[in-house]
This record gives sequence, structure tokens and C-alpha cells, in this order.
Amino acid sequence: MDARTIIESLTGKFPEAISEAGIESPIRIRAYVDSEKAKEVCQYLKDSLQFDHLCSVCGVDYPQRNELEAVYHIASYDHPVVLMLKARLPRDSPEIESIVPVYWNANWYERETYELFGIFFKDHPNLKPLVLPEDMLGEWPLRKDYEGFPNKTARNLV
Amino acid sequence: MDEMLGPKEIIGPNEMIVHLGPQHPMQPGPFRLNLRLKGETVMDAEVELGYIHKGIEKILESKTYLQGITIVDRICYLVALTNEECFVGCAEKLLGIEPPERAQYIRVILEELSRLQSHLLGMGEFGEFIGFVSMFMYTIKEREDILTLIDMVTGARITHSYLRFGGVRDDLPAGFKEKALPVLNNLKKVISDYEEMFNSDRIYRERTVGVGILTADVAKSLGVSGPALRATGVPFDIRKNEPYLVYEDLDFKVCTETAGDCFARVQVRLNEMRESIYIIEQCLDRIPGGPIFPEGTPYGRRTPVMRVPAGEVFHRVEDPRGEMGMYMVSDGSDKPYRVKVRGPYFPTLQALPPLIKGTTVADVAAISGSMDGCTSEADR
Repeated sequence: MDARTIIESLTGKFPEAISEAGIESPIRIRAYVDSEKAKEVCQYLKDSLQFDHLCSVCGVDYPQRNELEAVYHIASYDHPVVLMLKARLPRDSPEIESIVPVYWNANWYERETYELFGIFFKDHPNLKPLVLPEDMLGEWPLRKDYEGFPNKTARNLV
Repeated sequence: MDEMLGPKEIIGPNEMIVHLGPQHPMQPGPFRLNLRLKGETVMDAEVELGYIHKGIEKILESKTYLQGITIVDRICYLVALTNEECFVGCAEKLLGIEPPERAQYIRVILEELSRLQSHLLGMGEFGEFIGFVSMFMYTIKEREDILTLIDMVTGARITHSYLRFGGVRDDLPAGFKEKALPVLNNLKKVISDYEEMFNSDRIYRERTVGVGILTADVAKSLGVSGPALRATGVPFDIRKNEPYLVYEDLDFKVCTETAGDCFARVQVRLNEMRESIYIIEQCLDRIPGGPIFPEGTPYGRRTPVMRVPAGEVFHRVEDPRGEMGMYMVSDGSDKPYRVKVRGPYFPTLQALPPLIKGTTVADVAAISGSMDGCTSEADR
């Protein structure tokens, strides 16, 4: 299973949902996925392309584009290719379906991404804060416009 | 706050909730483990994090890359060098530079020494959790020799700030090899002693054999990596699957067991320590002379400002606890735009509740201890 085969299989199976698919190196591939189809694509990756290891789920904030990105790194125990799957989400109401039914360990990653960025994972079994206190919900501290650090911290010093 | 007790749920007539932690002598680090017990049996469990959350990913966005090296030391202060290797590796990929061969060998030597001391501490801690308190004394003693070697090179015992983009901060000091080899030889004997002790001690075996069994398929679906996964028979190791530095040129085995229980997890670590010693010996024999920074590049030990070309990268290394990855996004400035840390213990800790369901309370400490946790890294 090599990078080109995977890319061709993925874009062939989901021509509408997958875009900007590319090969960065023999073991790194990248693709954008329609946020409505992320779960379906992950299921296909796991069932047909041996991507049975979810490395991580995280968010990135791009306020200049007025969007957030949900970034999935999915790998395999059998082949060395790692896929970076990205979904663009609107900044005002970022929503994407949870992939916990596909990858069990997505649970904590999605909870963490929710509390830090505000990306809402629909149908998550237990979407609540993981490392932050509950009264910080809604502050989304890893967004670029968060005022708590370092600005608020510096303000507290005077 | 307890997930297990929703508004509609009630404790059964013979059940009770027990909170283990966040400060508890049988706990590998500050997290809270809520157990719902029926007699001595764990019916359900829940992990609560957040007690050592440091905001590392947010801090990295407001620090230069060079400052970031010091910050990532604190992700898991017990094994700072692999944290640094992952961070520095990301930036090097974006910059398109590669350390000279000597620097790569130095990095491997230091990182394997770090793996040795981490496994020693992990085994000692595990022994303590199951009542085998002497084990902690034995391993701490040997660990001190390893820390002395690391200190000799980096100037610090645990938070080194030693790696640099494209190289390492300082070269190995004169006489390092002559000091390292006796320590490694002593460690070989000590590892055999530990193994004999583990195999012959009946109480130890009763507390570890057949306890906390993970199968290969379950471990994979839970996202577990490192010794906990290799103890189930899956030979997944980033140093082999996705070689970095000079690991491709070195001869070493990926250590596996098949039982998947507490005993097997410790056995894997013992064998891995032997392989680490072998790796270090090979490196000390083969390390070439030459510079520790690439020539003709502006990057190096003294570069105060370093702009990284815009782009993104995901880099993985093998931490003593498993797969460590970092996803770095750069926007062309002298600070990272975003760094996501994928620690090895995060998915392993998530996998703890299903693993201890159905076991007894006494085995909870054995199971969580055999995972060799680092909550500092899980919380980040």
C-alpha cells in the first residue's frame, strides 16, 4: 500500500467530498474533506485502506480566513503512510460529526478540541471539558483572539 | 461532576464510589480515577484530568522556536529529550535542513540514555505501587548513574534544553565514552538481576501474571502504543516503522511479548533496555568526527531569530512510552503558528477505564502502574 494508491483510491471513492489531495512524501499524504462526509471517509479509510490507527485530532484557527480547521492524523499499524485529513469549518458555528464510532480513541481528542477551539462534534458520546475547568467553556482559549493569555495575564500584573 | 452518576443514575445497593487521587501514593501522577465498586470489584471507572495542565500548546504560539525547545521539555519532564527531538524535527523538516552525522549520533546516544532512565524510574514506580518498595530503591540508584552521564553532556539532569535546530548545543565532552561504557556494563548485570528477581518472586508473579490483559486487537483499537502495545505482540516502533536520525543504520530488535499482561509489559521494558544499551554501544563505536551543525546555513547554536518557511508538518518519534508526534504549522514568522502535541500516554490513559473494568481494586494500581504513565504529558 503506497501513497499514490491510497490517494487514487480515496479520490476515486469520494470524488465530491475529497479535495486538494496531495502527496507530500512517500509516507505523508494530505487531503481536505467535506465536513459533512468526514465520518464516512474515516470509515472507508479504516475498512478498506488499513488506516487502523488514529494518531490525533486537533484544531487550528485561521481568523484571516474566518475559519477553523479540524485536522485528523490517521495512520496504520501495517503500512507507514500517515494521512492528514482536514476539514474547513466556519468560525461562527464550527460543527462536524464525531468519529468516535469509527475510532474509539477519538473520544478524548474531540473533547479536548471542543474545549480549546469550540469545534462541536455532533453525536459525541460525552462532549464535556477534559483538562479545563467547566467555567472556561465558551472561552475557547486556543483561538487566536483569546484575551486570557498573554494579555489578560499581563493586565493582572499591574 | 461524576460522569458515572448522571442525573438519572443511582448507585446500586451494594455499590459505592471511591475517588483515587489526584494525590494518591498508588497513582502515577496527578489525575483522578473515580471507581464504582461492588465489594472489591470495579464496575466502572472514569478518569479526570486537568490537575497539571500547563497550557503548553498556547504558550508555544507566543514563544520563538528557540524558546520553544525549553518549553517542550516540560511536556514530560521525565523524558525531555524525545519531546525536544519531536519539536526540533518538525522545524527541521520545515526548514529543509538535516543535522550532520555526528550530531545525529549524539542525539541517538542521549535519547537512548533518556529511555534507559525513564524505564528504570517506571519499573521502580511500578514496584512501589504493588508493594514491592525495594524495587524503587534499586532502580533509582542505577538511574542516578545514567543521569550523571546525561548531566555531563547537557548540564541538566531532567530538563535539558540540549537539542538545537540542525544539531545539538554542545559536543560530547572528552572522556564521555570511557565514562559511559562501565555504566552500561554494570546496567547489563543489573537488568539480569531484575529479571531473575521478577521471575523467581512468587508474590510478584501472582500480582502481575494474568493481570490487566490486553490483546493485540483491543490494544490497536484503543490507540495504545509503546511497551503496552508491544507486550501484546504488535511490533510497532517508530524507530523501525518510520526511522529518523541514524536508526536505520543501527542494528536493534523491536522487543515484544505475547501475554499482554502487567508482567509482559515490564518484561518488554527490560528487553528494551538491553537493546538501548546495544544501540548506545554501537553509536559510541561508530560516531564520526565532524561538525555538530551543518555548514553554510544561518541556523545553529547562536541564532537568536529564526524564521521558518510557511508550511505544516507532522513528525513522529518513539518516546519510552510510545508514539510521540507533533503537528506544527508555520506562517513564516519566528514563532510557530500552531503546535499540536500528540503524547503517547494520552490514548493509553484513555484506555485505562475499560482495562480495569471488572478487576479488583488491588489490581487497579498494578494495571495503571504497569502502563508507566506520565500525566504531565497527558495534560500538557
